[in-house]
Amino acid sequence: MASTTTDIAVTPEPEVITARRPAGALLRSALHLWRTRIGLALVVLLVAVALFGPFFAPHSPTDFVGAPNTGPSDAARFGTDHIGQDVWSRFLWGGREVLGMAVAATAIGLILGGLIGLIAAYSRNVLDDILMRSMDVILAFPQIMLALVAIATVGPQTWLIILTVGLTTMPRVARVARGASQPIVERDFVAAAEALGVPRFRILVGEVMPNTLSPLLVEMNLRLTYSIGLIAGLAFLGFAPNQNGADWGFMIQENRLALVSQPWGVVLPVLAIALLTIGTGLVGDGIARAAVGIDRSRGGE
Amino acid sequence: MRLGGIAGFVVRRLLLGVLVLFLVSVVVFAATQALPGDPARSILGRTATPASLKALREQLGLSGSVLSQYVDWITGLLHGDAGNSLAAQEPVSDLLGDKVVNSAFLVFLSGIISIPISIAIGSYAALRRDRTFDVTSSLTTLVFAALPEFVVGISLVVIFSTTVFTGFLPAITIIPPGGRPWDDMQAMILPTATLVLAVTPYVVRIMRASMIEVLESDYVEMARLKGLPERTVIVRHALPNALGPTFQVIAINLAYLAGGVIVVEYVFNYAGIGGALRDAVSTQDLPVVQALSMLIAAVYVVLNLMADIATIIVTPRLRTRL
Amino acid sequence: MVDNRSPDAGIDLDRLSLSRRELLMGAGGVLLAGGLAACGGSGSSSSAGSGGSSTPAGTPKKGGNFRLGVTGGGASDIIDGQSIVTKPDQTRLIGSWETLLTYDEDYVLGTDGLAEEVDSSVPGQVDVRLRSGIEFNNGKTLTADDVIYSIQRILNPKEGLFGAAGLASVDPKNLKKMDANTVRIGLKQPDSTIPDQLGQYFNGIVPVGYERKGDLKYVGTGPYKIQSFTAGQQSVAVRNPNYWRPASEGPWFDQVTVTDFADSAAQVNALLAGQIDAITDIPFAQIDTAKAQGIQILEGDGGGWLPLCMAIDMDPFTDVRVRQAFRLMADRQALLEQVLSGHGRVANDIFAPFDACYSSDLAQREQDIEQAKSLLKSAGKDGMTVDLHTTNGAAGMVDSANVFAAQCKAAGVTVNVKNDPNYYGDQYLKLAFSVDFWGTRGFLPQVGLGMLPPPCPYNETHWPPKSGEGSNYITLYQQALKETDATKRCDIIHEMQKAEYEAGGYIIPFFNNLVDAHSSKVQGFKVSKATLNLDTFGHGFRTIWFA
Repeated sequence: MASTTTDIAVTPEPEVITARRPAGALLRSALHLWRTRIGLALVVLLVAVALFGPFFAPHSPTDFVGAPNTGPSDAARFGTDHIGQDVWSRFLWGGREVLGMAVAATAIGLILGGLIGLIAAYSRNVLDDILMRSMDVILAFPQIMLALVAIATVGPQTWLIILTVGLTTMPRVARVARGASQPIVERDFVAAAEALGVPRFRILVGEVMPNTLSPLLVEMNLRLTYSIGLIAGLAFLGFAPNQNGADWGFMIQENRLALVSQPWGVVLPVLAIALLTIGTGLVGDGIARAAVGIDRSRGGE
Repeated sequence: MRLGGIAGFVVRRLLLGVLVLFLVSVVVFAATQALPGDPARSILGRTATPASLKALREQLGLSGSVLSQYVDWITGLLHGDAGNSLAAQEPVSDLLGDKVVNSAFLVFLSGIISIPISIAIGSYAALRRDRTFDVTSSLTTLVFAALPEFVVGISLVVIFSTTVFTGFLPAITIIPPGGRPWDDMQAMILPTATLVLAVTPYVVRIMRASMIEVLESDYVEMARLKGLPERTVIVRHALPNALGPTFQVIAINLAYLAGGVIVVEYVFNYAGIGGALRDAVSTQDLPVVQALSMLIAAVYVVLNLMADIATIIVTPRLRTRL
Repeated sequence: MVDNRSPDAGIDLDRLSLSRRELLMGAGGVLLAGGLAACGGSGSSSSAGSGGSSTPAGTPKKGGNFRLGVTGGGASDIIDGQSIVTKPDQTRLIGSWETLLTYDEDYVLGTDGLAEEVDSSVPGQVDVRLRSGIEFNNGKTLTADDVIYSIQRILNPKEGLFGAAGLASVDPKNLKKMDANTVRIGLKQPDSTIPDQLGQYFNGIVPVGYERKGDLKYVGTGPYKIQSFTAGQQSVAVRNPNYWRPASEGPWFDQVTVTDFADSAAQVNALLAGQIDAITDIPFAQIDTAKAQGIQILEGDGGGWLPLCMAIDMDPFTDVRVRQAFRLMADRQALLEQVLSGHGRVANDIFAPFDACYSSDLAQREQDIEQAKSLLKSAGKDGMTVDLHTTNGAAGMVDSANVFAAQCKAAGVTVNVKNDPNYYGDQYLKLAFSVDFWGTRGFLPQVGLGMLPPPCPYNETHWPPKSGEGSNYITLYQQALKETDATKRCDIIHEMQKAEYEAGGYIIPFFNNLVDAHSSKVQGFKVSKATLNLDTFGHGFRTIWFA
């Protein structure tokens, strides 16, 4: 999931969460679970740090506040980084880039993948095969691999990273969307609607789509967790768009050499990324459990 | 029109695998064409003259149409010739030989630890479903599955090497020239631990789900209804059916590990193909990037193929879906 | 991404084979007057290097395998008595080949090399008299023929050797063998920098018939002889039993092993673990850790520099006011602290700090944002934006760019830093604003390499201008080359430097030190102003020993 490279080309069919259930009720029951609450709390906390951190930063990310790689002092609460900048300020500024790109990439993957999955399930013919085989091709690569190949050509640009991560998220979402839509599509009332001449588009949007929202909600969390890990991982390898901008992943790389004497430049961003990914993971799991729970309480289908 | 039976399935999957590899090669190759600037100029730099540029372009295989370049490259690959590294001006295959061995060793080491653990924990959790072990392990695997590998790796380094238990374990691996990773097993501990921690949780969850499916299958239900003792049910009826998912899990595990090396090797300065790939991307050394991408993709495809075929062979009931 | 020799590198596996450009890191030279006496005032204090720890000299002892770890090498490593490609190549060259003249720790050219005397008093020629009785490591005696062959090989355009640019005034057809030990080098025009060039480490003397891949490939006069070599991995050299110096001057080790490392973190760890005895370019972040474990730090007083280069004939730097404004935006002390952790000295936009004629009287520039803003305004460029190109070519290149860019914000100028791995390819020397690196060198040789129109190889700033201050630069240069009187030459050089100071394209914020590390078992290192690391690698591994 969030391991930057673990992803299967041939997935055992994802746990299909079917049956009609309004997303609202699902979320509400998910929140009953303590794991969802903890997860949500973590996510809210870290997102707040990422979004609002800059307002609380005592220095700009590039201010020179002290000799490089020194420990905590009056000027720098958590010490300085490899070129004398304030670790704490850079940490507060560093979440936006990672989070922003991850959210954008996940959104792209979600929208495109969702559409493709729906259409594939609904067409039930050659189009289905073509679409899903194309998805398989993308799945043949570890996600990080494709990103690296892209970066090898034009360098670590923001749009490129968002696009490649988004496009490699797409097939995974497509599979889930298709898996969730299929049972619906095969039902009688859909055939009946078609016979009555209801436009396909209406059926798709009106009947099929609402039932995929729940599994897609779970998948969205998985994908978000993964995208954060991947984009931070790429930055950690040195492939961040902004060479001196503050970025949690890139900070870890910049400050690694001084780990023995000045660990904060690494520890703070590592903690942030860890807690954020655990948070989104917990939320996703909570929603999945709630769905299964509702499923069971209704006697399943 | 479908060919019948297992043989048909295998053939279809094989063809699909080849098709996928072919498409992957096109994508990987297309990346070169997107590179702005001229690689020949980049190498010769200031010493470039029109004559030397032309000669180098020929040598790099940059003259000729895109299609002919692709064909040259692909045929070269199939013969084991992956071109020359731009940075080193040496054949890619020479550069990577040792590194492939090193990465393979790391994967092997992580695999022999991770695979049995995944199978054991996943199965046991399924057997004791919703009980303490299952709930605890589920939460633990969830947390670790969410963490990116480099976070796990760096955290291990911080804890066991640099900051908490200073100097307890080496923070990086040093393989001297001509040496082998197994010469210094202590340095292998943290990288292996990172890979295991990164991959096992996800696989445990898959194993658990598969095992549950087996335990709830009709076949096993029948055995229970027949009144057989639970133990016999498990050993004689459930486990054989669990073999299929197990193979799949093993293959998936190995595939993940093969992909996981990219980041983990960087964390520990490990002289393997993951590190080489990262280097090559950083210096835009495209022949190396292409060669490594194809290698890793091929490993992936082959392992997944083996997983699928093994599953089909071992799980009779799935054959009805063919 | 991050240079493996950068002080703040992560564990980086970047192994860019260094371009020819990299050769300049090692070169250096002080201009000699007509005779060989060092210019007055240049051989001053040997108090160079802050915190440099020269181990107290004990009694040298024979024996041991000296293991050196280096970074920056790779599959493109070579061994050639007259050339290098990667930095590790320096270590293999320096132990096996020698030059006619040598530089000492104070950067003074002297006759401690293969030549007993070098006479450049007559303009247009340089007479070299070799010591007698020097043998190559294969037993053959060194003669004038070898010297002639060596110089001709350097000048041969097909070989593409680095020393060719510096020896351009030599006429390869006019090398006369006066007797078995004396060579008269004929020049195409007067050039007082030739003795300098004869001391450059990459202008080693090789035997007649020497070729990089030929049978004589490991034959040199140096204290060690290469025994084995695997590019990108390791080389082993053993003591040369035929070595010409008296036994009391070394060499002391039985063997020298140089190992390539992928990056600095691995290198340092190997040193700490006792797997190797010395390393070059220790990352600043690890100096304290190393010291705490008993490692000795050797810091040289460097004359290397990382200039920000403004092309004076390209927009937006065509207006001299813009160039002056940019120079005023730099906070040099901050750059020194941030980029080098203070391991260096503040500089003043002119180069060659060890040259006797260096203009130290010019007022030290300080950051002056207000003045910069007003200059930009009068040039109509206030609030301007410009791209600054850099790469991981040498430690500090990327950091300099980033720190400078941050400093420019105070004046309302936006500098976009572009880090390009292919920097030394297409775009190099065609960029309006870029970062580059240079090693220690005397003034006139440096001008010959970077301040003249083509065929001068590395003129990033496209100096000199066609009009205004500095337009007579080339004339001045030619006069200086011809001038035999030291004082008069210094005057000319002062005038040249003044023009650079007022209207030039370089922003030179600091001179960087070389900081290396070695185990306390190794003794004999001296703090040095030399251009090669580790006190010119212990003078070719000759003047260091195991305690």
